[in-house]
Amino acid sequence: MHELGLTRNIVSIVAEHAGRRRVRRVRLAIGPFACVEPRALSFCFGLAAEGTVLAGASLEFLEAEGDAFLIKDYELEEVA
Amino acid sequence: MCGTCGCSDPADPVTLTDPEKGERSVLRRGPLAGPGHDEGHHHHHAHGQGHDHDHEHGHDHGHDQPHVHGPNGEVVSLEQAVLAENDRIALRNRGWFEGRGVLALNLVSSPGAGKTTLLERTIEALAGGVEIAVIEGDQMTANDAERIRAAGARAIQINTGAGCHLEADMVAEATRKLDPPPGSILMIENVGNLVCPALFDLGERMKVAIISTPEGEDKPLKYPHMFRAAGAVIVNKIDLAPHVDFDQARCFENIRQVNPDAELIVLSARTGEGMADWLAFLRRQRREEPIGA
Repeated sequence: MHELGLTRNIVSIVAEHAGRRRVRRVRLAIGPFACVEPRALSFCFGLAAEGTVLAGASLEFLEAEGDAFLIKDYELEEVA
Repeated sequence: MCGTCGCSDPADPVTLTDPEKGERSVLRRGPLAGPGHDEGHHHHHAHGQGHDHDHEHGHDHGHDQPHVHGPNGEVVSLEQAVLAENDRIALRNRGWFEGRGVLALNLVSSPGAGKTTLLERTIEALAGGVEIAVIEGDQMTANDAERIRAAGARAIQINTGAGCHLEADMVAEATRKLDPPPGSILMIENVGNLVCPALFDLGERMKVAIISTPEGEDKPLKYPHMFRAAGAVIVNKIDLAPHVDFDQARCFENIRQVNPDAELIVLSARTGEGMADWLAFLRRQRREEPIGA
């Protein structure tokens, strides 16, 4: 139910961090008790990323422990 | 776009109402207010703490972030909790409550489980002894804050618009208005919802989940996150148990399955049955030192 808002949080954190550089991939670490549904995040991600430096980026998930819910890292597009 | 709750509607701001003074203020505008909406209200992006990365904008290398080169481009390690900003404010709330000796409880349940009625009876029972202040969370209306006020306690109503839960900054703002005195109890009645409030720390001593007998014994299994997050579970409307074929033993079993440590209290806020156990629980919580202090 709250995944769209969480996705917006994720996009805004990464976009602010990346500055003007385009982001190709974001990796999240989610624990089994995080109370977050990865599929719902994926569903919302494209929509939330639209019009930002994350547009077109992929969202990947890493298994984590407990209730962890972290943005692990992100990958920038190569600068030509 | 600062509403953490995705089900927010752009037309619905988060508001705070003080029924005593008749004041109403906007905590957050709608989530689609667009850029430049940060000024003057509490927004909720979980920025990196301290904004220490600001200088990196337009950077290339030479910053502190550990990074490697992936198959395609530079990989920047972030390791940032998505709800870092909420958790930071919750921690501050918790420090404030503990420093003041205010017992803050976060009451969570589905709509209609009897949170407000339980609070009314609790306020009446403790009248003249312990002061209770209440933060009421609902999507719309100040009805519950009015009920609490009529029962004899101070209350602030937070309307979350279309939002499905309270967040730490809303509680911080409402606490500033209520200014609960040392030794008092602050009851935070969350939005009726067994899903989202489990995720958001408000700075409370503990979450108290309330389940009512007509809801059935399997609620803890259907919504395990909430019951796992709770330090105590109240089974309310026990007077209705025979009429709705409620099996208390099975309910306890189900709660234990997801949360073996939760304290269990059975009561009827309407008839008063079991209220003594709840009041004893509150007395005990007020005496106890905060965990980890």
